[in-house]
Amino acid sequence: MNPPATAPDHAIVVEDLSRHYGPFRAVDRVSFHVERGEIFGWLGANGAGKSTTIRMLCGLLQPTSGDATVAGHRISRDPEGVKRSIGYMSQKFSLYLDLTVEANMEFFGGAYGIPRRPLRHRMEEIVGLTGLAEYRGATTGQLPGGIRQRLALGCAMLHRPEILFLDEPTAGVDPVSRRDFWRLIRRLAGEGTTVFVTTHYMDEAEYCARIGLMVDGHLVALDDPAGLKRVHVPGRVLDVRGEGLVAALPTAREVPGVMAAEPFGAGVHVRFDTGTCDDARVLGALREGGARVAGAEPVEATLEDVFLAVVARGKEWE
Amino acid sequence: MRQPVARFFIRVGALAAKEATHIRRDPRVLYLALGMPVVMLLLFGFGVSFDIDRIPLAVVDRDQSEASRRLVADFVASGDFVQGASLASEAEIEPLLRRGGAAAALVIPKGLSRDLARGEDVPVQVVFDGSDGMSTTQALARADAIAQAATMRIRREGGLSAAPPLRVSAWTRFNPTGRSAIYLVPGLMAYVLAMVSVLLTALTVAREWERGSMEQLFATPVGRLEIVVGKLLPYLGLGCLQVLLVLAMGAWVFDVPMRGSLFLLGVVAVLFMLGMLGQGLLVSVVTRNQMVATQGAMMSSMLPSMLLSGFLFPIENMPLPLRTVSAAIPARYFVHALRGILLKGNGIAEIWPDLLALSGFAALVVVVSTVRFQRRLA
Repeated sequence: MNPPATAPDHAIVVEDLSRHYGPFRAVDRVSFHVERGEIFGWLGANGAGKSTTIRMLCGLLQPTSGDATVAGHRISRDPEGVKRSIGYMSQKFSLYLDLTVEANMEFFGGAYGIPRRPLRHRMEEIVGLTGLAEYRGATTGQLPGGIRQRLALGCAMLHRPEILFLDEPTAGVDPVSRRDFWRLIRRLAGEGTTVFVTTHYMDEAEYCARIGLMVDGHLVALDDPAGLKRVHVPGRVLDVRGEGLVAALPTAREVPGVMAAEPFGAGVHVRFDTGTCDDARVLGALREGGARVAGAEPVEATLEDVFLAVVARGKEWE
Repeated sequence: MRQPVARFFIRVGALAAKEATHIRRDPRVLYLALGMPVVMLLLFGFGVSFDIDRIPLAVVDRDQSEASRRLVADFVASGDFVQGASLASEAEIEPLLRRGGAAAALVIPKGLSRDLARGEDVPVQVVFDGSDGMSTTQALARADAIAQAATMRIRREGGLSAAPPLRVSAWTRFNPTGRSAIYLVPGLMAYVLAMVSVLLTALTVAREWERGSMEQLFATPVGRLEIVVGKLLPYLGLGCLQVLLVLAMGAWVFDVPMRGSLFLLGVVAVLFMLGMLGQGLLVSVVTRNQMVATQGAMMSSMLPSMLLSGFLFPIENMPLPLRTVSAAIPARYFVHALRGILLKGNGIAEIWPDLLALSGFAALVVVVSTVRFQRRLA
């Protein structure tokens, strides 16, 4: 149906993409690609340029410079082609709250130019897939956030898009609904849909096959979750519980081989190089600093650690 | 080629159906569209009346004498009348009034100077267009006063102590009883319809911008013409309801006659509504914000439709700059056409310039709002 992309296995190819607002560089010379059928996470703090990137890739915003190919269409020259091949779920909740679940679907189906009969058929599929059967006649505004989210996703999939763009799809949704939502997204990806998703929930990011990390308009890291952890938070992380730990952190940082020592939850996380340091030396330093250690165990580095480590390195990419 | 056309209709249909549901589900919109015109029509219809001057006066001078020219000069010198066309016969008066070429006509009979010299009774006729926005009773009183003054002058100049008075007989065409509601209400209809329609569409697009649903809409292949048409259609339906409501009220509450073709009236009304709804859309497209859109809609529709449409103040009396501006106000043509059809029974022969102007405006606003519609985010 669509002309073949320049690289057949790449759903999205981004080359030197920039968007400036006056002197402000919301997105600055970003390049990457997304493979077909993968869940690609696009992470960053608020204002890092995530939404600006997604809007450019959806043909909603013209790049200042650079270009991208989305589902085989150039965003600069053929934004309409892009729009036909993608589904977009914007950050702001944008269904019509005064319409019923069914009326919203009918509207978006019509907006994609789907004739009545195929649309009815497809709506049945979507209702089944998203588990909305019991809410069909309900007014959208009266439904809880998690169900609206599924409806928004359903509306974005009516025309069987090759790529789904989800901008903060789970913002403000309860944890159970978030888990259900991600189950749905993984199922879609399993069926061959490419999913490009932004989020600032680091636990959700673990579901992504690959992650791009944005800081101040720059793409500063791009890898799978394990790779990101290996590169950005190497070593062993020790989760220490007890009292007076935070005050003792400066002492722990003095120990050779300790790379980071930060408060984390009720305790502290100390990360060190296993070649030059070990658990006993770290705990000794904390006690020396006045802490009473109640317990310590090694933990997996999280993407949150990655995120903090990357942001903490400041603006060295400039 | 058939597929893109079919898609166009699917998209426009989806947009129009969605908009119609919004309207049905929002009592405020229904009140604004159907309640407000009724309330305003009642308030204005019973509450407003006004004064006049500078009536364009056509002259049928069958005498062509010094005396007759002096009499015309007296009418003009009063400041109440301005001299209009000179006609050859009475038969030309009615078509002229119909076209709006004059609002009154002075008929001076053959033999005026002779009869005056003989001291006989002189019947001078003034014919008024009672459908126009001027109080005919007042104009009549002025005409009478002018005739009295002319009599005094003639008496003085002729040195006659017992010269007969110049007797003015006045006929009022189209609105024989001179009721102000009859010419006021058609203008009022135009004003009310203009205001409400512009406001209705001004809010709809701005609302989508504010809610963020516009962004979602732009991410679909829906084109801007499709959005404009899809938004206009349901409101045009609502607008037709408004027109019927206002006309029915005019007929029942204010006894406004319906002398012309109802079909022609329908065509004129639809064209006018299209232009007004399009104007609202344009306001909305430019402002993107409900607050600003409301003010923009009010400013762009209420004041011009009230002040420059000829509804309250006759356009002929305006200074040239205002008259020029009023040429761009669609309400002006609608008021004119409405009065013509309702009160004079005018047909296409008299109405076509109004039809042309209204179609032109409607086409212009629809095209401009489509072009101005940014389908990308700023």
